[in-house]
Amino acid sequence: MLSSLLLKEWLKLKHYFIAALLLNCGICLKIFFDIRQQMHSEHAEMVWYQAIHIQTVLYQDIRYLPLVTGLVLAAAQFVPEMLGRRLRLSLHLPTSRVVMLFFSLLSGFLLYLMICGLDAALIYLTLKIYFPVEVAASSLPTMLPWMLAGLLAYFGGVTVLLEINWSRRIFLLLVFAVLIIMLFSGSGYGWFIPALPWLIVLVPLALLSVFESGRRFQERGV
Amino acid sequence: MMKHISRYSAVILAIVAMSYGLPAGFDKVFGQEVGNPLLFFSPPQKQFIYRESLGGHRFNYMNEEGTAFSRAEFELQLPFLYYKNLERKKLLPVSIDGKSFDKETIKAGKQGLEIKSRHLDGHHQQIELYPLFNNNPEVAIMPFPEDVFRFTDKAMEFINADFNRIDTGLTDSFTAKLNKEGFIFPATVIGGKTTNLKPFDEGFFVRDSEGQVFHIKRVLDKPEIVKTPIDSTLDIQDIVISENKRKEFYGTVITRQGNVYLISYDNYRLISLPLDTYKPDNMDFKFLVNPMYKTAISSGLQMVYGTAMDSDYKPLRSYELERHNPTPLLVTISRDLLFPFQLRFDNPYRGQADLQLQFGGLWSLVGILSALALFVLISRRKKQLSINKGELALVLVSGFFGLIALSFIDKD
Repeated sequence: MLSSLLLKEWLKLKHYFIAALLLNCGICLKIFFDIRQQMHSEHAEMVWYQAIHIQTVLYQDIRYLPLVTGLVLAAAQFVPEMLGRRLRLSLHLPTSRVVMLFFSLLSGFLLYLMICGLDAALIYLTLKIYFPVEVAASSLPTMLPWMLAGLLAYFGGVTVLLEINWSRRIFLLLVFAVLIIMLFSGSGYGWFIPALPWLIVLVPLALLSVFESGRRFQERGV
Repeated sequence: MMKHISRYSAVILAIVAMSYGLPAGFDKVFGQEVGNPLLFFSPPQKQFIYRESLGGHRFNYMNEEGTAFSRAEFELQLPFLYYKNLERKKLLPVSIDGKSFDKETIKAGKQGLEIKSRHLDGHHQQIELYPLFNNNPEVAIMPFPEDVFRFTDKAMEFINADFNRIDTGLTDSFTAKLNKEGFIFPATVIGGKTTNLKPFDEGFFVRDSEGQVFHIKRVLDKPEIVKTPIDSTLDIQDIVISENKRKEFYGTVITRQGNVYLISYDNYRLISLPLDTYKPDNMDFKFLVNPMYKTAISSGLQMVYGTAMDSDYKPLRSYELERHNPTPLLVTISRDLLFPFQLRFDNPYRGQADLQLQFGGLWSLVGILSALALFVLISRRKKQLSINKGELALVLVSGFFGLIALSFIDKD
């Protein structure tokens, strides 16, 4: 049953996943060529100075990509389910609503992690070629809040889509929008490092909030 | 059970979002931000004078006694600061205490040093790689070095930017020289000016793992290292170097206890500045030198403190200025009533996120009681048989945030 559920999610997501993957790889490739060009056209030590002391984030182009990826995955997975209320068919399966929703979210979450993991690895390797390891390592905590924002966009998107009451839907939309804006505050590298453990706590809360909308959908929407 | 956990998760997320977004939005609409007051010691007046912002591009120019000045009069009281304006008005040279000061004398005797708390070590993210400028007496400009250095557990490593590889020649020569001078790796504090926008280069001051401070320079790609007599028991937070043609001091040493010392050119003798009020954690610091006096200014969120000294650093006069808050009382009370706390990451004294839960004043308690009363009223209207204790507790700790969240994310 669960493997069939995962297969169904994969069939819904695969085209969007491949498109998102290609977009993410394309932007990472652009960042690689941008940095390569800059290193060749300017004095390398000045590019290092900008990256280390002026705190110019050379991989800024990737900033909103996880957000877009999260939203695309949430929409690809749950917009078709909400059109014509097809989700109610899944809710009639001989498995609990929580388990069914959990596996749906797990499939989207894993695909999102694959894309973000690839982004992080590509940016790290690009920086490692042209900069000391400290600069490459600083990219990971810098990108993490952006990736958390994408994850909140994914779970928030699903929560909002599953919600059946319009006023509550708009309220939840605003809540997730503010949380996502919060994760894009600050500048330079590693700005959020001291607060990262607290920001990570938002993810399980966002995941759990999906189940509340799912419950309401089943109890009131079917 | 799952029903409660998932609902309360959504409610907590809503409270977090509101406590971050609503107070910030309120401040954006009703708040008035004013800049730091500028406090100086006036040589003609022999007392402190200041410029404070009243909001909306209006300024107050006053002295300690409360005498108000126009902007032009204010500039006249600070001839060493505004000497260029005075020169254009043909008011130079100025005469103070029987001494005459022309443009050249003023320029030669001036120095300023500003240390923002957010730039101090530990208050911002810093990749520990630094450029060590190569002092070449035959080159007029100061070119950027093609490498940066880092301190590891056993070496001072130089990494070449062109090849992104360790320069073993420089690494070996600097590490050997440091070992010879008695440096105990690793470094604990590294202080130096990383820009070439300075008149000359004094390299870096580096504190080793035993507290000894070394002065490291690079002259014609060779190490020039001096073990300074700076007290190794000082709990140094940061060393800020500021090269200046006056060549009186290299820069400052700031301890975690808030003591500030100048590192003099006289065999690295430390000159203690008489400051009792400076707290590096949440205050900015300025040190101004003119041909007659030296002034130390430390400023926090509430107060600005000034101490004027003579040329031998003997304190002459101190003054405390309370910062003007132009926000109307009604706005402050309304903010406290509506928002019992604010979640924020920004801090003017940090160059990185500083997660804080800032609580409102006494009016916040009134706000919480109002939210509780509203909650009970709404519950009664819904004809609930008993008031949910969990929800009541949530409103009790989060006031209107909790009330709004529970109203939208209500029980079915």
